Amino acid sequence: MKIGIPKALMYYFYYPFWKTLFESLGFEVVTSDDTSKSILDIGVKEAVAEICVPMKVYTGHVLNLLDKSVDYIYIPRFVSLRKGIFMCPKFMGLPDMIKGLFDGIENKILTHNIVSKSTDISEFHNYTVFIDKLGVSRKDLKNALKKARDKWLEFRALNKQGYDINELLTSDKPKKYDGDITIGLIGYVYNVYDRFVNMDLLNVFRKLNIKVVTFDMMEERIIQRQLKKFKKNMFWEFTNMLLGTAYEFMERDDIDGIIHITAFGCGPDSILEPFLTIDSEKHKKPFMTLRIDEQTGESHVITRVEAFTDLIRIKKYKAEKSVEGVI
Amino acid sequence: MKITFPYMGSPYMYEKLFSLLGHEVITPPRPSQRTINYGVKYSPEFACFPLKVILGTYLEALELGADTIVTSGGNGPCRAGYYGEAQKKILQNMGYDVEFIIFDEPKRDWKTFLENVKKIKGNNSWRQVIKTVKIVYDMAKSMDKVEKIVETKRAYECNKEFTKVWHEITEEYRKIESSEDVKRVEKKAIERLNSIKICEVPEEEKIKIGIVGEIYVVMEPSINGNIEEVLNAYGAEVERSHYISEWIDFNLIPLPFYKEKEHQILKKGEKYIEIIIGGHAKQSVGAIIDFMERGFDGVIHLKPFGCLPELVSQSVIDKIMREYDYPILSLSVDEQMAIANVLTRIEAFLDVIKLKKHRKRIAR
Repeated sequence: MKIGIPKALMYYFYYPFWKTLFESLGFEVVTSDDTSKSILDIGVKEAVAEICVPMKVYTGHVLNLLDKSVDYIYIPRFVSLRKGIFMCPKFMGLPDMIKGLFDGIENKILTHNIVSKSTDISEFHNYTVFIDKLGVSRKDLKNALKKARDKWLEFRALNKQGYDINELLTSDKPKKYDGDITIGLIGYVYNVYDRFVNMDLLNVFRKLNIKVVTFDMMEERIIQRQLKKFKKNMFWEFTNMLLGTAYEFMERDDIDGIIHITAFGCGPDSILEPFLTIDSEKHKKPFMTLRIDEQTGESHVITRVEAFTDLIRIKKYKAEKSVEGVI
Repeated sequence: MKITFPYMGSPYMYEKLFSLLGHEVITPPRPSQRTINYGVKYSPEFACFPLKVILGTYLEALELGADTIVTSGGNGPCRAGYYGEAQKKILQNMGYDVEFIIFDEPKRDWKTFLENVKKIKGNNSWRQVIKTVKIVYDMAKSMDKVEKIVETKRAYECNKEFTKVWHEITEEYRKIESSEDVKRVEKKAIERLNSIKICEVPEEEKIKIGIVGEIYVVMEPSINGNIEEVLNAYGAEVERSHYISEWIDFNLIPLPFYKEKEHQILKKGEKYIEIIIGGHAKQSVGAIIDFMERGFDGVIHLKPFGCLPELVSQSVIDKIMREYDYPILSLSVDEQMAIANVLTRIEAFLDVIKLKKHRKRIAR
């Protein structure tokens, strides 16, 4: 049996987990192609016009998988990864949304709710649907989940050491990249690592000799410590992580500037925005918002990143000089 | 302490609640273009429209001298539950020294909740507080009852009278001081409405439209282009999926009997949206099915641009339309909404409905 996994949204965070899980259960895993113009165009055409670009991309990937004659498309419903904290409503309604967009796709969708205590989603009770639907035994499922969990933790450990997710997912010998200045990049995995949608942003940084740190490279306990500052946390798991990471970046001296990459029409990010803009100014940390959507052009991204990092370099250079007493 | 509050639907209930408890109340003016401009200027660009309008009304109320904002929180994942925190940040950054009293669910933070209650309670006895709450609840029930009559009958008025009379009635409600007053005003209001001249339309030509969607844009006529009045003017009866008294029943009264209606609506939405995903997405879909079963001719779905939960419901609306061959019009509301666009779309929508009804009659 072939199980299709759309290369979008949480793919970038959980693919090692899902791949190991389904393969240990004896299924073949097929992913959709890398995001491309045709995938995006189909998504834009089929999805609701107003929805954010990551959801349009996801829709495109689902259709791409249908062409690959898979038996099931795996569309989990992420509900909560921490008590009292949810995911964005669009994630919570993702299977419903896909069912609503295409007639007759119900039987092709493999879905279940994920309600978990942490980002480790291997809790058995979430996957009991598989027993009937895929005809696997409890024991096999438990074993597969354990294997998947180990694999995922290994992946996350490397990720936290500073390897970016694209390196880890695509190459056997991942590389770390360094630079003369460091940018804290605030953004969800599907905006940061989808090379097509963000115009290969990470490579733009590399060419400019800039080191990038993202939220997925941070230890979760550091993020949680920062979040304690808030009396009431936001409702969305990954938005909270971005918030905590951003405050950590503001306080750290080795981060020279912060870039917030966000998709047009992202709801949670619109609430995150005032906190980041107001407080980064208070911390005197250079801050820029980079908004991407289906119409984003490459030169736009490059120009803005270049201008921003040039200013940071000038600032840093001046500061070093004045310490030496030249200026 | 000069209290102000978010403007949604009729502001008189909140005004009554706080003034009967002896607070000085600054009632924000009805949202206008100025309010919207204010809100848009100081809010994040992609914040949803209600956040912008509410921020605008706060700014206007602060200009009028308010220094305390009382509002509700929420548990998400709809953005509305975090409005208070975000607006606090924005207003503080603008240099306003304003106190926010945000009512969250008690179990989230008991201490803050009790402190907030104490602040609102002031020097009143608990008996007084309960009595006041009862009066305001009766007032909300009664106003919704009268408004439903207006929304139905206004479709058939001979001269444009209903809107004027309704405004006069709300002014009467504003003056009440006891539950007896509520009854008296209600009786008088219904008598007045019944005395207005009606130009009857044959039963088979009557059109009934349901309005569903995000609660703020459904309930606040000043930002949804007075959609109910517009529909009435085109000769269509209107019913909304949200009334403040029903919201109170479902959210604030801890008795199962009061939640019955909402649970039934939710159940109807289950086929399309399995779990509650925040906001009123599931309710909206359930309400569409409910209106359809009750023989309404069509539904208008309103949402603020980029509303997270309602985008999911919009995604399944197309399917419902195909499945039942039922007319649904989805409209986005934001600062860019042009009234001519809305009028044209509503007119076309009603034409479709009329034609459909006509064809059905002929077929019979």
